[in-house]
Amino acid sequence: MTKDIISLMRLIQFTDSAFPIGTFSFSNGLETAIHEKIVHDAETLEQYTQSIALQAAYSDGIVAIKAYNAGLQNDYDAIIEADNRLIEFKMNNESRLMQKRLGKKMTEMGVKIFDHSLLKKYLQDINSNKTPGSFPVAQGLIFATGGMSVEELFCSHQYGVINMILGAAVRILRVSHYDTQKILYKLSEQTPAFYEDIKDLGFDDMNSFVPQIDILSALHEKGKMRMFMN
Amino acid sequence: MVDFSEAKEMAPFLQEPKAMYVGAPGKTGFLFMGFELDKKGKSIMRNLDRRAPLIVQQELYFDAEMPEMPCVYILSSGGPNVDGDRYEQNITVRKDAYAFVSTGAATKLAEMKYNYSGLKQHFIVEDNAYLEFLPEPLIPCRNTRFISHTLLTVAPTATVFYAEIFMGGRKHYDKGEAFEYDVISVCSQGERPDGERLYREKFIVRPNLQTPRILGIMDKYDVFANVIVMTPPDKAELIYSQIMPYIDNDQKLALGITHLPNNAGLLVKVLGMEPGPVKNIVREFCSTVRQVIKGKPLPKEFPWR
Repeated sequence: MTKDIISLMRLIQFTDSAFPIGTFSFSNGLETAIHEKIVHDAETLEQYTQSIALQAAYSDGIVAIKAYNAGLQNDYDAIIEADNRLIEFKMNNESRLMQKRLGKKMTEMGVKIFDHSLLKKYLQDINSNKTPGSFPVAQGLIFATGGMSVEELFCSHQYGVINMILGAAVRILRVSHYDTQKILYKLSEQTPAFYEDIKDLGFDDMNSFVPQIDILSALHEKGKMRMFMN
Repeated sequence: MVDFSEAKEMAPFLQEPKAMYVGAPGKTGFLFMGFELDKKGKSIMRNLDRRAPLIVQQELYFDAEMPEMPCVYILSSGGPNVDGDRYEQNITVRKDAYAFVSTGAATKLAEMKYNYSGLKQHFIVEDNAYLEFLPEPLIPCRNTRFISHTLLTVAPTATVFYAEIFMGGRKHYDKGEAFEYDVISVCSQGERPDGERLYREKFIVRPNLQTPRILGIMDKYDVFANVIVMTPPDKAELIYSQIMPYIDNDQKLALGITHLPNNAGLLVKVLGMEPGPVKNIVREFCSTVRQVIKGKPLPKEFPWR
């Protein structure tokens, strides 16, 4: 029981939006979606967030679980493979940038907090450009080395993705905190089905189909709006 | 061997068709085309190996802006892709050669009941070679199942323009079909000749599990084009600087461009309502690419296409 409670405390710590890795500076394309009036109220925000959560589950979610399992088995080659497979799947500049920024920060925090040899080695390789250092891999490693469960990892991943967008939304869209919390509460209900569907998938099963969001990301990449980094 | 047994998304569709079985002659199309420069430096189709229902006759030189370019249309004598079809298409463009490949008409994916239709492609583009692959759109009928895997092996000095246009369905047929198919799974993967992995893109659309009619996916759009351009980084920058992404709410067209991972080139996505305007945008983009690589534009499309 004590272990479970510690594990839940760790889950809340590493998932909290106040965990200092800089998620607040990314909007996952929402900034442009609002500018283009594609997202304009709570209902459209919910749809947008749902699409992002879906594609994240079938890409970042799969990689996070693969990295988690590699971390448990101390299989460093498999960790690096997960890192490279994620980056070769990320089809736009700004999403690769986000993955690398958050991944490096997350790994640095892990090293400072509990000083695990696997995390240390991973951070060294990120700093010497031997590996990209992506966020899902860093999450997977921290949850594996920090003694948390794979289900907790997936919850943290999905919560983080949804909350990143909703956190940006309350700053740039006319929606209330009641709206965003309601969306978060509702979208959390799809997390178990995503987990069941992806938990045994491999790298070759990663898939993503969000063409409208890809176009919004391209507009942001070439545009001048810079309240958020993506 | 066209084998998709690893693709979990096709697992529900593995019954033997009641008509011709999977692997029957006429249902396993094969195509290999090898382009190279002849002794006079002319780009020609040196090798052609084909098995029904895929048909390629010979290369023609009908491109008014680039009359030295061998142009080939891939045809299918079977009409649409049907239940249990397995096709393989391989193209090699050898050092310094160039080619244009398209299809004679849109690829129709017939209604399916038991199995699925699969396509494997491997395109090899050697040093300084150039390939334009611009097939006509793909039209999925109700309950169709389709999977494709395309491997692009491209030398660091070579360029390949690989476009695919997907309609949501037979939009104007009967009461109109849009996203009534069972599954479309499309994967393309880029690598260097030494096997270095560059990018892998895969999308699976299963309208019964997740409607694409949601903001962020297809929203209100009916047609989607995906264009991969593998090209050297300096050429990619020249092309990238000339293309502005946009969302045009009046014309209901949208275009996005970004860089592929690992300096592999560029990726363009287009959304629209009808295949014609989307195809025009893809051709305009191809013209920009051809101008940068070959210094020549694409000709006007034939009025009958």
